[in-house]
Amino acid sequence: MTILPLAAATNGAAPPPGVFAGAATVISVLVLLVEFGMLRAPLLRSQVRLYALQSLLVASLAVVVGAVLDLPELFALAALSVLLKAVIVPRFVLRLLRDSEAEIAGSGALGAASTVLIALGVAAFAVFSFNALDISSPVLPKTALTISAAVVLVSFVLMIVRGDVVSQTVGFFSLENGVSLASLVVASGLPLILEVAFLFDLLVAVMVFGILMRVHHARSGSLTTAQLTRLRG
Amino acid sequence: MSGVLPVAAVATLQPLTILAAAPGVTGVIAKVEARLQGRRGVRVLQPYYDLAKLFRKEALAPQGASRVFLLAPIIAMTCYMTIPLLIPVLTDYGLPLGYMGDILGGGFLLSLASFAIAVGAAETGSPYAQLGSSRAKTFAAITEPVILFVVFAVALVTATDLPYALAATVRSSADQMVRPAHLLAAAALFLVILYETGRIPVETHTGTNEFGMIEEARGFEYSGPYFALLRWGSTCKQLILYTIFINVFIAPWGLASTGKAIDVIWAIVALVLKACGVGVVVAVIDDSFAKLRLFKITEFTAAAFVLAVLGVFTLYLGGG
Repeated sequence: MTILPLAAATNGAAPPPGVFAGAATVISVLVLLVEFGMLRAPLLRSQVRLYALQSLLVASLAVVVGAVLDLPELFALAALSVLLKAVIVPRFVLRLLRDSEAEIAGSGALGAASTVLIALGVAAFAVFSFNALDISSPVLPKTALTISAAVVLVSFVLMIVRGDVVSQTVGFFSLENGVSLASLVVASGLPLILEVAFLFDLLVAVMVFGILMRVHHARSGSLTTAQLTRLRG
Repeated sequence: MSGVLPVAAVATLQPLTILAAAPGVTGVIAKVEARLQGRRGVRVLQPYYDLAKLFRKEALAPQGASRVFLLAPIIAMTCYMTIPLLIPVLTDYGLPLGYMGDILGGGFLLSLASFAIAVGAAETGSPYAQLGSSRAKTFAAITEPVILFVVFAVALVTATDLPYALAATVRSSADQMVRPAHLLAAAALFLVILYETGRIPVETHTGTNEFGMIEEARGFEYSGPYFALLRWGSTCKQLILYTIFINVFIAPWGLASTGKAIDVIWAIVALVLKACGVGVVVAVIDDSFAKLRLFKITEFTAAAFVLAVLGVFTLYLGGG
């Protein structure tokens, strides 16, 4: 019986990151993947649902960090953000959608596959440029920070490429998700009151966007931004 | 049953297991799919009967088709029988022939087989066969980068590109299972397998709708033993891909670690059971999704590409 030696796992192999860091990175990668899912979601409703899912993922990361590192205020933050971002905001936007008949998101300026490829390039830029920065966090792996930067830039791509109000609103909200992911990495020890202030910022944005969507829909009878290219005084 | 099998016998058993079990796994998937649709379905052993029937029939070739047409199924089958020598089918240690080629070697052999079938189909002059081979090559140009990135991820994880080494790494600790690069690469590979085996988001497996066909259309002009070889080859390809997915990526357990006959027999049983498990998942996907329009397939492959590329990103960042 000849058993040849395995050259594996000796030299040059990337070591595994450990269960906690690995799980944290998996959750942040899932947040980014949901962002990519929004890029190709054809229905406005499915986009809002994806946003709710993304908020849930960010909150679950907060719970994981809070449980492992024994930071109880993160539980409160997670509960608040689930209530606001996974329940209230999506229901609000879905109700606005129910009033308008539009169902299908305005197809973007580019095809779905090329949008994904562009977003991938943008994500690569974000990931590698943030990786070059010398930021380290005591609580979370740096990968989560770089991925949160990618989430922010990809949500910009979503807002730029899609030509309807709902996609742009959802893109803006998911940008906030990316920022809160980043704040989990760099500032988990932040006082709860500041985090709550962020959440109320979001509430204000929701109100403003809701009114904007209503006004736009009432004026143009549709949700696309096509009529806005020629502004008149 | 406590005798130790010679290494050559174990090595021979790897392709033989694939050859013998592949139609059965296809039969199980068809059965599960039928049950999920509320049909009774055909027997699990039906693919074997089909093959036996085809082998007894007469072989015809279209007028003007050259020798390539008849050689193609044989070349493809040869490729499919070589790959099991390179990957961990039954053993968790590398057999002597296991080091002739790495993952890329296996990938080349799979592409060679698909190329041979495509050339054979193009020989016929039948529009549907040519449509199928042209489409298969078009989309293969998009799935191949995905495979490449999966291989990159494997290479970064293990510092080699041997399938045995990745399986050993995955077995070594639970950390290796939850690391994001591994999960992403495995998910991307699963999507590619759905594409390569012609399953539902891409292609209906048993339909007769020629316009939606990709892989299935390529065998239109074959008959008799050649068609049997082609059919058998495609079931073998499916089981080979499942084996790579199971024994290298997601569940490299239950493999024989010695050459003892009893261990090897258990490894065969375990492989067939695990492949049927993947088959059940594939059947559930088959029944719960609609077939994508042809031009939406690029979106499907783009999703696989995103997964694979993100896997490599996380590795480069050091957190993967």
